[in-house]
Amino acid sequence: MIKFGPGNLRIPKFEKPVYVVAGGLTDYRKKYPEKNTSELCTMALRMAVEENDLKVDPEEFRRMVNWVVYSQFADHFGDQLLAAAKIHDYLGFDPLGNIEVKTGGATGGSAVLAAAQAVASGYADCVPVVGWERMDEVTTKVGNSYIASAACKDFESELGWMYAAYYALMAQRYQYENNVPHETLARIACKNHLYAYYSPFSQNPGKYTVEDILKNDIVSDPLTFLECCVMSVGAAVLIVCDEKVANRLTDRPVRLTAICGGSHTLRTADRRHMPILLLPNETEATYKEYFTHKRTDWPGFSSFLASRMAAYLAYNMAGIKDPVEDFDLLETHDAFTISDVQTYEDIGLRPYGRGREFIESGEAYFEGKLPTNLSGGLIGTMHAVGATGIWQIVEVLWQLQGKYDKFHGDPKMWERYGKKKPADWKSLQLKNPKRACTISHAGTGSHVTCAILEKP
Amino acid sequence: MAIDWPKTALEVLNEEPLVVKNPKTWYHIHTYGGWGQFFKGLRNKKILATRCTNPQCGEKRLWLPPRANCPDCWHDMQWVEAPQTGTIYTHSVVTYPGELFKLPPGTPLISVEIEGVCTKLMSWLKEGKPKFGMKIKAVFNTERPTNSILDLAWVPA
Ligand SMILES: [Zn+2]
Repeated sequence: MIKFGPGNLRIPKFEKPVYVVAGGLTDYRKKYPEKNTSELCTMALRMAVEENDLKVDPEEFRRMVNWVVYSQFADHFGDQLLAAAKIHDYLGFDPLGNIEVKTGGATGGSAVLAAAQAVASGYADCVPVVGWERMDEVTTKVGNSYIASAACKDFESELGWMYAAYYALMAQRYQYENNVPHETLARIACKNHLYAYYSPFSQNPGKYTVEDILKNDIVSDPLTFLECCVMSVGAAVLIVCDEKVANRLTDRPVRLTAICGGSHTLRTADRRHMPILLLPNETEATYKEYFTHKRTDWPGFSSFLASRMAAYLAYNMAGIKDPVEDFDLLETHDAFTISDVQTYEDIGLRPYGRGREFIESGEAYFEGKLPTNLSGGLIGTMHAVGATGIWQIVEVLWQLQGKYDKFHGDPKMWERYGKKKPADWKSLQLKNPKRACTISHAGTGSHVTCAILEKP
Repeated sequence: MAIDWPKTALEVLNEEPLVVKNPKTWYHIHTYGGWGQFFKGLRNKKILATRCTNPQCGEKRLWLPPRANCPDCWHDMQWVEAPQTGTIYTHSVVTYPGELFKLPPGTPLISVEIEGVCTKLMSWLKEGKPKFGMKIKAVFNTERPTNSILDLAWVPA
């Protein structure tokens, strides 16, 4: 049993307000031999500095930077220890201090958290966060082995050497407990592949039907390939700063009102039953009838305590009372369709056991109440792991700044990556969104960050 | 005396852009440390779990995978033999495993619920088709042990 002491549930606070002002991306590909990793990070940084309507020129910006955070999941993939030092030097930031952050799939979210902590404390006031992953040096099969070495190597990795299998075990249990049809899971995949179709950055866009998703090859039952995230090469950059620097850099700063982290056991096996940690929109009555002969424990294999913990802290920090009402858009870490449904519940879009309603009701769509993964998500657009959590925040920043079309709709942006803008391209720019949330997630829920961004 | 050029080369896979192959052929020497008893136990057809020895500790549940130290109080744990029967908590057949998987594609992976154990050990089903709640019993690879978690498997009880 996890028993919380008062210190354990302390709501984090920033001593100074934290802002994000600009973002930059590369496109994302399965293989990217044309550019080495240092060049990819430079591409993303240049977009952040040169194409976000900043009020200072690039040279002036460089002279404002005082700390840099780097974000890469696996040295295994890049095969270069201290890659951050090589990239820091390549970007011309020497001799400024820097750190590299590593928390698996949530590395990007944690890197932004580290940058926010630096700004909030006054340690720094202008911090680029630079993330990347290079997953094309090895075959897909070896890549899956590398990723599975982020499961417990003594007791779990040997069982499949495949993360999709560990999520499949959760998917089976979740479906058994909550009676969710596979069609509902497939709808999430359709949605995200479709939104990726409108993004020049995306690796795996497509207009699929539910049937296409279900008939696709199975990786580990029930999950098909089209329900799993892509393995990508690419980079992402986000500029984090304090209020004074934000106003000097841009007319459209966005405040990072909260970013908080939670964790849970690396092995799903070790998750002991405990009382459900309640979000502001839940009470004990919400779960009066939750436990049944099938739903025997919480978080069990159906829920992520790390996500619940991160949302609990971030919602209380930012004053969120009801996420579906209070947020205008959301980016989840849709590594697998199943983990997306689980996350809907962990972050309180629906009570536990009822996550399917969020997708079935249409709320998760562009036209819906809380559009989710308009970026195309990890299933449709990218999972260059160290870049992922940063890219999610860049995409919602652009939405909040009203710049979706600038970065996704310009035919030149498509040509830059050797693509042609589709004739039936459609704008996914929301009308005047005010508040957004992003979830960055690792392991089978070993680390999760929840970020909340708001237009001042 | 001049030093000779190296005798081995990086294989060129592509000229433009220039792409080479970096070979990797070494191994890691890995210790199971305080968890080694568990793997040695499998050789003797025993499933060894651990329980906290601290009289002040509130929980004292049986942990499998074992832990040498209690996660609630960090005290030493004691080895206890776990039951060799359980039920299937969840399952999945892995069609496309990653490199290094020593079993064939199509092997059912399972999570096992064992009475008195507070965790749900991940393992594999050696015979039969997995179902929720199916009663199973442990079998041990004593013929050609892999010295890994794969030396424990389950069959219908
Ligand atoms: Zn103890």
